[in-house]
Amino acid sequence: MIKSNNTLGIIFFPAFDWAISPTHPERQERLLYTQDQLREEGLFDIEGITEFKPDVASVEDVERVHFCFPDVPSVVTRSHLISAGGAIKAGDLIMEGQTDRAFAMVRPPGHHAMKVVHGSRGFCTINIEAIMIEHIREKYGHKRIAIVDTDCHHGDGTQDIYWHDPDTLFISLHQDGRTLYPGTGFPRDLGGPNAMGRTLNIPLPPNTSDEGFLMAVERVVLPILEDFKPDLVINSAGQDNHFSDPITNMNFSAGGYAAMNDMLKPDIAVLEGGYSIQGALPYVNLGICLAMAGVDYSHVREPNYNAERIRQDARTTEYIAELCKQLPALYFDPPKFVSKGDSRQGVITGDNYVRHKQIYYDTDGINEVQQESVTLCKQCRGLYKVETRADSGPLCLGVEIPVNACPECRAKGYQTVEDAQLKGTYRYVQLINRRDKEYIRYGF
Amino acid sequence: MLLGIDVGGTHTDAVAIDIGDKPTVVASCKVPTRHDDLLSSVTEALAAILDRIDRNAVTQLNLSTTLSTNAIVQNKTEDVGVIVSAGPGIDPHNFMPCKDFYVIDGSIDHRGNEVRALSTHQLAKAVDACRENGVRVFAAVSKFSTRNPRHENLIRRTVCNCKSVDACEHADFVTQGHQLGGALNFPRRVATAYFNCAVWRLYNDFATAVEEALDDMGLGNVKVNILKADGGTMPLPQSRTLPVQSIFSGPAASVMGIIALTDIFHDSIILDIGGTTTDIAVFADGAPLIEREGIDIGSHPTLVSALKVHSIGIGGDSAISVVGPEVRVGPNRLGPSVCLGGERVTLTDALNYTGASAVGDVAASRQAIDAYASARTLTGGKLAGDAVAYAARAIQDAARALVDEINSKPVYTIHELLEGKRIVPKKVYLMGGPAEALKDELRERFQLSTEVPANFDVANAIGAALTRTTWELELFADTQRHVLFIPSLSYRENVPSGYDLEDAKRDAANQLTMQLDSMGVFLRAEDAQITHASSFNMVEGYDMVGRNIRVKCQVRPGVIKTFGEGR
Repeated sequence: MIKSNNTLGIIFFPAFDWAISPTHPERQERLLYTQDQLREEGLFDIEGITEFKPDVASVEDVERVHFCFPDVPSVVTRSHLISAGGAIKAGDLIMEGQTDRAFAMVRPPGHHAMKVVHGSRGFCTINIEAIMIEHIREKYGHKRIAIVDTDCHHGDGTQDIYWHDPDTLFISLHQDGRTLYPGTGFPRDLGGPNAMGRTLNIPLPPNTSDEGFLMAVERVVLPILEDFKPDLVINSAGQDNHFSDPITNMNFSAGGYAAMNDMLKPDIAVLEGGYSIQGALPYVNLGICLAMAGVDYSHVREPNYNAERIRQDARTTEYIAELCKQLPALYFDPPKFVSKGDSRQGVITGDNYVRHKQIYYDTDGINEVQQESVTLCKQCRGLYKVETRADSGPLCLGVEIPVNACPECRAKGYQTVEDAQLKGTYRYVQLINRRDKEYIRYGF
Repeated sequence: MLLGIDVGGTHTDAVAIDIGDKPTVVASCKVPTRHDDLLSSVTEALAAILDRIDRNAVTQLNLSTTLSTNAIVQNKTEDVGVIVSAGPGIDPHNFMPCKDFYVIDGSIDHRGNEVRALSTHQLAKAVDACRENGVRVFAAVSKFSTRNPRHENLIRRTVCNCKSVDACEHADFVTQGHQLGGALNFPRRVATAYFNCAVWRLYNDFATAVEEALDDMGLGNVKVNILKADGGTMPLPQSRTLPVQSIFSGPAASVMGIIALTDIFHDSIILDIGGTTTDIAVFADGAPLIEREGIDIGSHPTLVSALKVHSIGIGGDSAISVVGPEVRVGPNRLGPSVCLGGERVTLTDALNYTGASAVGDVAASRQAIDAYASARTLTGGKLAGDAVAYAARAIQDAARALVDEINSKPVYTIHELLEGKRIVPKKVYLMGGPAEALKDELRERFQLSTEVPANFDVANAIGAALTRTTWELELFADTQRHVLFIPSLSYRENVPSGYDLEDAKRDAANQLTMQLDSMGVFLRAEDAQITHASSFNMVEGYDMVGRNIRVKCQVRPGVIKTFGEGR
């Protein structure tokens, strides 16, 4: 019998009765072979590895994080609530000390879901990591949290949600946005004026293999994690950097994923993308489970693995080495925010930082325009406000009073909502008051 | 007339049951179990029963035996050559069950594709090494053999490299992993195949001896079935190739006994309180729950399916001890009880003291409890009361933990999670020696209706007698590769692209019926239950290229008739 070095809780929820469409990559079959592989390997018989069933996230769990318009039940399915509930279960296992580590192997994924939700982007509707993190903070007290997003696609949703939060470090390693959806995630994106340097993007060139990924983790991610001293490290574990993934262009292997996980030592991993459902997911997920449990993973290998065939070229290595030299400074010594008059990058007007955004929900075909503003407050993180309109739909408003809100920002939050009701032309108004744990919707 | 024999740890119980409109126990007996000669215990019990009935009326004998279990526990098993092909994954040497264990290069993936052929050179060397060590029984196991048994077949052919069909000069018996069932779990398959071989000779010798003994008694025409741990039976001839299925069938006999003696409709807890342990089982809507994967034999998890039974070290012979301010019972058995001539005070003595029971020499119990208590500055009444309360509390805690564990078991679809049934026990059934004496205390603890059925002293033999024959199979179809495969039957067939879930369900039920028919068991169509059915579209690019279909079909474990009112 094998015994694990770390106790590991696995929440496996393959959602065998949910799909976007019958032939969509995010469909019932996606975790089928992973399930077969994990069971055939006898993973759940390893002493110290336990399977848990997911919780079901409540509407309030979602509303703590997102402004969903017109409302939560209109945008999410039950499967989304269970997927988020799976992540929540992982968080509870760790916080209550039931297991040392936890891996929520659930679908559908969530890291493209932004603060405001009108529909589904990049197969994601609600951000299951963020829902888990804010559940943890609400239930167990405020925590410093680092999210390392290793999905091949830029974690633009998670970045958007934590853009203004100095207590959440968001690092995304992904295939360069110039070559892949969603086309974002560049080193210049560092977070809002109150949280500069808390967002860090590491765009890697196509065909990066194990060598490049592990170099970036070792030279950029680990020193920053050591400095940030998070209470929890969370891995948004997208598995689409795999050399066999059909919708990306990277050359990462199952062994590489396991080694990366071993280096990051995340408390919690949450499955994100990964659409090579036969050739990659079974092996990558097995490797990650073993690495998290502290069990030997050196025998995990894809059937068609050939290190030589997928090795990155010297130019790629050189390019990544240069990135690794330059990127750490963006965290350790972030530049001051300069308002350059481009409202898409954000401008400062009076006490407010204001940004205009256009968002396209590719899965649902929705266009959205947003105006986001944050008070530049010396006492707290500042009051967050977002006006949003999807296509020709009605104008809506979201207001968030942060957890450490000063009395002024708090009062201003209530005032903003009241004004919006009396004078505004908003169809829906939603208030997230993290300070007093109050979640209110108007006009629904 | 049906006979049931349960070979237990202390006693071998036997009953004869007349199946009329309502079954009645015509004769019953208990004889001591002689572990070094189980056959003599069986024949003695049989003889005692046959004296009291018309032996010509006997049509069937169901037998539950500890033979294989004991052989394993006492390490009296035979050397096995275990030859595996694993491919990438967890290092198979972690699951090495014995010294003659050989890992051969080669790999089959989760769809059943051969990724890498088996190394015939390594295989030949492994077989030679086994032969040099005098090994005569072999286990051939490959990863994903339940999807494609190619490697296991090649290993078997290499092991039995002989011309004759009936006898093989190189090997007496080969277990192939896929024939043990369709479940995925390579380490369990390795362990199960190993144990199946390890007890094969011993078991077959016993089976032959039983057949001969029955012949001698004039019962040669009687159908003999062997109890399995999952609460079903298998015909004796079939059990010869699957002796591992007879392991740990003891608790199954008691659970089947409770089913036969009562009418269980609700979520319930079954407590079989014996001398050394209390076995706890849980029923959902009146049906016993099965261990999801299989039981552990020694420290090896296996694929042997079994009723979910949890044992704790509390029984009538459990010793009483005082630790600090607390009076404890068990988990050690230091019996017999003082009232039966032992030295150490036990739970049975405490029950005698409180007046809940009157076993053996009650005065001796009282005296010993008083002496034990006063040496620890307690009164006898307090010690006995606390001991009984402790036992009841420990049993209740364990039962609650078991129910919680079952309720937290993972589920895989939204439907299961949202409509998921929680088990909420509404009734407690007690059996075993101290059952009656502990009834009130346990009712108080559980705050639930508590029942002790009549005939509870030979309930396990009754269970054995009435248990019906079960079988299960898993069907796996892949319409892209145009194959259908039923591992436990080694049955392969080509299927067309249009083959779908309904076809698979029908084929699974038909194959199950035919298999039972070949064993001489008549199966009504409604008894073949589909317990799992799923079909996944397989997509390449954005085109559907086929369906991946899985169906599981079984005869649900149960008894052929009950003593209850049949409400």
